[in-house]
Amino acid sequence: MTDIAATPSEFQAHGHDDHHHDADHKPGFFARWFMSTNHKDIGTLYLIFAIFAGIIGGAISGLMRAELAAPGIQYLHGWAELQGGDHLHLWNALITAHGLIMVFFMVMPAMIGGFGNWFVPIMIGAPDMAFPRMNNISFWLLVPAFTMLLGSAFVSGGSGSGSGTGWTVYAPLSTSGSPGPATDMAILSLHLAGASSILGAINFITTIFNMRAPGMTLHKMPLFVWSVLVTAFLLLLSLPVLAAAITMLLTDRNFGTAFFDAAGGGDPVLYQHLFWFFGHPEVYIMILPGFGIVSQIISTFSKKPVFGYLGMAYAMVAIGVVGFVVWAHHMFTTGMSVNTKMYFTAATMVIAVPTGIKIFSWIATMWGGSLSFKTPMMWSLGFIFMFTVGGVTGVLLANGGIDNYMHDTYYVVAHFHYVLSLGAVFSLFAGFYYWFPKMSGKMYNEFLGQLHFWTFFLGVNVLFFPMHFLGLQGMPRRYPDYPDAFAYWNHIASLGYVIMAVSMIFFFVNLIISLAAGRKAGDSPWGEGATTLEWTLSSPPPFHQFETLPKVD
Amino acid sequence: MAGAKNHDYHILPPSAWPLIGSFSALAMAAGGVMWMHGSHVAADQANGGGWIFLMGLAGVLFTFYSWWADVVKEAHAGDHTPVVSLHLRYGMILFIASEVMFFVGWFWAFFDFSLFPVALQVVDGQVENLTGQAGVVAQFPAKGLHVIDAFSLPLLNTLILLCSGTTITWAHHALIHGDRDGLKKGLWLTIILGLLFSGIQAYEYAHAPFAFKGLNYTSAFYMATGFHGFHVIIGTIFLIVCLVRTYKGHFTPRQHFGFEAAAWYWHFVDVVWLFLFIAIYVWGGWGAPVHG
Amino acid sequence: TPGATAPAAVAANAAAPADAVANAAAPVWPVTPPVAGIGQPVNGAIGIQPQVTKLGEEALWMHDIILMPVMVIISLLVLGLLFWIAARYRAKANPIASKTSHNTAIEVIWTLLPVLILVGIAIPSISLLAKQYKPAPKEAITLKATGNQWNWSYEYPDHGIEFTANMLPEKDEAAPGTAFRTDADGPRLLAADNRIILPVGVPIKLLTTASDVIHSWAMPAFWIKMDAVPGRTNETSFTIEKPGVYFGQCSELCGDKHAYMPIVVEAVSPARFAEWVKFKGGKMPGSEPVAAAVAPAAPAATGATAPVADNAAAPAANATNAATAATGN
Ligand code: HEA
Ligand code: HEA
Ligand code: CUA
Ligand SMILES: [Cu+2]
Repeated sequence: MTDIAATPSEFQAHGHDDHHHDADHKPGFFARWFMSTNHKDIGTLYLIFAIFAGIIGGAISGLMRAELAAPGIQYLHGWAELQGGDHLHLWNALITAHGLIMVFFMVMPAMIGGFGNWFVPIMIGAPDMAFPRMNNISFWLLVPAFTMLLGSAFVSGGSGSGSGTGWTVYAPLSTSGSPGPATDMAILSLHLAGASSILGAINFITTIFNMRAPGMTLHKMPLFVWSVLVTAFLLLLSLPVLAAAITMLLTDRNFGTAFFDAAGGGDPVLYQHLFWFFGHPEVYIMILPGFGIVSQIISTFSKKPVFGYLGMAYAMVAIGVVGFVVWAHHMFTTGMSVNTKMYFTAATMVIAVPTGIKIFSWIATMWGGSLSFKTPMMWSLGFIFMFTVGGVTGVLLANGGIDNYMHDTYYVVAHFHYVLSLGAVFSLFAGFYYWFPKMSGKMYNEFLGQLHFWTFFLGVNVLFFPMHFLGLQGMPRRYPDYPDAFAYWNHIASLGYVIMAVSMIFFFVNLIISLAAGRKAGDSPWGEGATTLEWTLSSPPPFHQFETLPKVD
Repeated sequence: MAGAKNHDYHILPPSAWPLIGSFSALAMAAGGVMWMHGSHVAADQANGGGWIFLMGLAGVLFTFYSWWADVVKEAHAGDHTPVVSLHLRYGMILFIASEVMFFVGWFWAFFDFSLFPVALQVVDGQVENLTGQAGVVAQFPAKGLHVIDAFSLPLLNTLILLCSGTTITWAHHALIHGDRDGLKKGLWLTIILGLLFSGIQAYEYAHAPFAFKGLNYTSAFYMATGFHGFHVIIGTIFLIVCLVRTYKGHFTPRQHFGFEAAAWYWHFVDVVWLFLFIAIYVWGGWGAPVHG
Repeated sequence: TPGATAPAAVAANAAAPADAVANAAAPVWPVTPPVAGIGQPVNGAIGIQPQVTKLGEEALWMHDIILMPVMVIISLLVLGLLFWIAARYRAKANPIASKTSHNTAIEVIWTLLPVLILVGIAIPSISLLAKQYKPAPKEAITLKATGNQWNWSYEYPDHGIEFTANMLPEKDEAAPGTAFRTDADGPRLLAADNRIILPVGVPIKLLTTASDVIHSWAMPAFWIKMDAVPGRTNETSFTIEKPGVYFGQCSELCGDKHAYMPIVVEAVSPARFAEWVKFKGGKMPGSEPVAAAVAPAAPAATGATAPVADNAAAPAANATNAATAATGN
C-alpha cells in the first residue's frame, strides 16, 4: 500500500497559482447536487430540505390553529371529507405529522445537517468531513424518510388516513390501537431518519476529533463545534434505543410479539421508558447546536471573545451527560414509585445549573462589549430571553408533584414551544442570517430582517404565551375541541399565528430578493468581532477550502 | 477532483451510491409496509409488496457491495493515508458503540419483563393472563413455559464463539507477523465456527419448546437472540470478505484496516452473546422447566 | 337524618332538570348543577383552578408562592440584564469593547446561586411528593376507574356499584329520545351521563386501569392525574373538602374521541352518599344488605355528621401511591 502522506516539501511544491482553479472546479449539475461529496453542497441541500419541511410543518400547525381558534369542530369535517376518513382521527394525524416533521425534518436537518455540515469543517480548518460520501447518504436517507412520513398521510391509520399516535407513538395506541399501514410507514420513516442521524453523528465525531487544523486543540474549538460534538454523541447513543423501541412496535403490530401487550405480559410503560430515554436527549439535540450558534453570534456582535469559554463548553458536556439520566420526568403520572419520582425530580432540576451558566455567560460576553444589533444579534437576544422563559417552566414541570397537574395540558405545550419554536427556531434564524452572506455571497436586506424578527417575536409570543394560561386552567393537549371556557385564550393564540405567518412572508421575500439581487458580501461582513475561520475565506467559500491547512495559534 | 491538495485527507469524487442506496431503502420500507399489510390493501391478494421489498433489499445489498468495492479501490490507490485510516477506526468504533445501544434497548425489555414479572400461565401453547386472580404468583418466565436448557446447545454455542474469538486473534497476529498461512487458517476457522454457531442457533430455534408470538418471554428471547444472530451473519460475511481479500493479497502487515474492523465487529458480537447467554439463557430461565 | 332526606331526594327528582326527558317516569337521581368557577375552567382566566383537596391546596401554594415568583424573577432578571446591556453597551455608547473573558468569582456565583435556588425548590417539592404518596387509610372508600375507548367505567368494590360514564352530547347532536346535555349537567364536553358520587371528608382510594389503550384520569380541582394503563392498576388517593361538582377530562391520547371522555365527580355529604349507594342498589360496607336502609352507615372514622370539620383530624389524604402494579415500576 502506498503511503501518500504529504511531506513538508510537498506543501511547498504546490504553488498558490493553481490553487483557486482547482478549488473551484465543480462537477456538473447532477453530479454536484445528487451525488455530492462536498460538505457545503450537502449542507445547502439540508437547509433547502429543512425550509421545505418547515413550510409543511408550519402549514399543518396553521390548520391546527384554525381549528382551535374557536370551540366546536370548525373545519375538520370538511378536511376529513376531502381525505375520506374520520374527522377526529384527522386531528390526531395532524398533530402527529406536525410534531414529527418539526422535530425530525425541520430542526434536526437544519441545525446539524445544514449549519453543522457547512461550518463544522470550516471552523476547525478542515477541507471537508471525514466521510464525505457517507455524509451524502445521511442527507439522502432523509428524503425516503420524509416520503414515508408524508405518504402515511394517504393510507389508512385506523378510522381515517394518517398515523394518529402523537409524535411519541405510545403503545398500545400505536400497536393494537392503530390498524392500517400508516403507523408502520411512520415507524419506518423514523428508522430511516434515525439511520441518517446515526451516520451523521459518526461523521461529525470523527471529523471533529480527527480533522482539526494544526494548532486547533479541543480547547480552542469554536463553541458551535463543541455544541455539534456533544449533540453527535447524544444522537449516537440515544437513537439506537429508539430504533429498538420502534422495532418492537413494528413486531408487536405485525408479527405478534407481546412487548407492549399486557395480555402476554408485555408492558406499555416499557415503551415510554425506551422512547424517553431517546426523547429527552433528543430535546437537547435540538437545542445544543442553537446554543453554539448563539455563542458565535453574541461574541461577533459584541466584538468580544466568549466569556468563560471553558465553562461554556463543559456546560454543554454536562447538559449532555445529565440529559441521559432524567428521561422519566415525562412519565410522572404513569404510576412510578415515590423514590423514582423524587430522583427524576431532583436530577432534572440539576440541568438548570449548566444551562444557567450558559445564559449568564452570554450576558457576560456582551457586558463591556461594543454591541451592534444586526438581525442575527436580535434573534440571539430574543433567543436568550425566550429560552429562559421556556427553561424556567421546564423547571416547574420537573417537580413531580406539580407535574401531576400540568402533565399533558397546554402548559407543557407552552413550555416546549418556548424552547423549540421560540428557542430552537430563533437560533435557526439567527444562524441563517448570520451565515447567509457567507453561504450565498450576498447580503440579506437588513430592514426586512429586522421586520421579520420583530413581527415573529410578537407573533409567537401572542401565539404561545396564552397556552400557559390554558394549561393552568386545565386544558388537555391533543384535543381538537375544547370546553367553551378555553375559548378566549385559544382565540388569542390563533391570532398570534396570523401575525407569525405574516412575518414569515417577510422572511421568504427577503430570502428571494437577497438571493436574486442582494449586495455582494465581503469575506468578513461582520467586521473584527467575527474571529472564526469561515470569515477568513471568500463568500461563498471556494468549492474546496483549505487545500493547504490553516495554522491556528 | 483532488487537485492541488496539500493535505492527507481524502477528498472524494461524486458518488451515486448514497442516492441509489437511499432509494433502495425507500423501496424496502415501502414494499415492506405493503407486504405486511397485503390483506389491507387488497383483500386476500398479494399486492407485490414482497417483491418491492426484495428489489429494495437487492438494491441495498448492491449499494453495500459497490460502495465497499470503491473503498477497497481507494485503499489500493493510496487514499487511505494514516489520518484517513484513523478516521475509519473512529468510524468503526462509533458504529459499534451505537450497536451496543441498540442491544441495550432489547436487554431493557428483557429486564423489564423479568424483574417485574406478571402472573402468566402457558397451557398447550396458549398464554393466559392470571393477573388479579386469587393466589397466583407472578413469575418469569410464565408458569408452564418450558425453556431451552442453557447448559446444552447454548453453552456449546458460547464455547464456539469464545473459541472463534481466539482464532480471529490468531489470524490477526499472523497477519501482523506476515504469516499469510496462519492468517488464512485463522480466518477459515473463525468463519467455520461462525457458520457453526448460526447453524446451531437455527437448529435451536427449530426445536425450541416455545413459539414466537403472544408472550413477553418469547418476544424478548427471539428478538434479542434473533438480532444477535443477524449480527453474527453480518460478521461472518464480513470475515468471508476478508478471507477473499486475503487470497487476493490485499492485506499487508502494516495496512489491513478492513480485517481489523471485521475483528472488532466479531468481538462485539461475541460479547453481546455472553450477555445474552448469562442474562437470558442462564439467569432468565433459572428454575423454569427445561426442554428435553 | 339520612332517612329523612331519602324521600326528599326522590321528590326533588321530579322537578330536577333531568337530562333523560324520555324516561322521566323512572326514578332518577337528581342532578346538582355545578357552580361556575368551581371544578371547571373559567373563560379568560390565567391561573390554576381552585383546589378542593388539602394536597391540592398545598401544591397550589407551592406553585403560586414558590415556583411562580422564582420563575418570574429569573425571567425578569434576564430580561432586565439584556435591556441594561443593550442600552449601556451599544456601539454608540461604548465604542471600544473590553477584552475580559474570565472572572472566576462571578462564575462561581452564578453556578452556586442557581444551585441554592434549586435546593430551595427541591425541599418543598420532595416533601410534597412524599405527602402525595401517603397511602390511603384503611377506612378509605375505593373507586376503581377503567378507561375504555371512549368512556369510563367505574366500580365501587366496597359498595357493589358499577356503572359506565359517557359524555353527554349536545341537544342537536343526540339521537332522538336519548339523553343530551343540559346546563345542570355541566358545560359542553365536560358533562357525563353518570357522575361519580363521592362523600366529602372521606379519603378516597382511586385505582385506575384501562381495557384497551392508555387513558388518564385527571381532575384538576383535586390536583390528581393518574394514568390508566392496560395490564396494571395504579393507585392514588385524595379527600374532597367541599361539596360540589367537579369536572376533568381524559389526559392521555387514546384515539379518536380522546377529547370526548369527561370525568365528573359530585362530592356530597357522607349521608347523601349513603343514600346514593342505596339508590344505586349497592350496600354500605359493614351494613346489612340493602333492606337496612336506615343505617347511617358512613365509614367509621369520619362521622356522618360534620364531614368537613372532621376532616382536619382525618389522616393526611390525597396520597399517590406506588402502583400495586402488576408490572414495572
Ligand atoms: C429544545 C427542547 C427542550 C428543552 C431545551 C427543554 C428543557 C427542559 N425541559 Fe422540556 N420538553 C420539551 C422540550 C425541551 N425541554 C418537549 C418537546 C417536551 C414535551 C414532549 C411531549 O410530551 O410531547 C418537554 C417536556 C418536559 C417535561 C415533561 C412535562 C410533562 O409532559 O408533563 C419536563 C418535566 O420535567 C421538562 C423539563 C425540562 C427542563 C427542566 C428543561 C431544562 O433543560 C431547562 C433549563 C433552562 C433554564 C432553567 C433556564 C435558564 C437558566 C437560568 C437562567 C438559571 C437560573 C434558573 C434556575 C435556578 C431555575 N420538559
Ligand atoms: C421544533 C418543533 C416545533 C415547532 C417549531 C413548532 C411550531 C408550532 N407549533 Fe408545535 N408541536 C411540536 C413541535 C413544534 N411545533 C411538537 C413536538 C408537538 C407535540 C405533538 C404531539 O402532541 O404529538 C407540537 C404540538 C403543537 C400543538 C398542540 C396540538 C395538540 O396538542 O392538540 C399546537 C397547537 O397550537 C402547535 C402549534 C404550533 C404552531 C402554531 C407553531 C408555529 O410556530 C409554526 C410556525 C412555523 C415555524 C416557526 C417554522 C418556520 C421554519 C422554517 C420555515 C424553516 C426555517 C429554516 C431555516 C432558517 C434553515 N404545536
Ligand atoms: Cu381516553 Cu384520552
Ligand atoms: Cu425531557
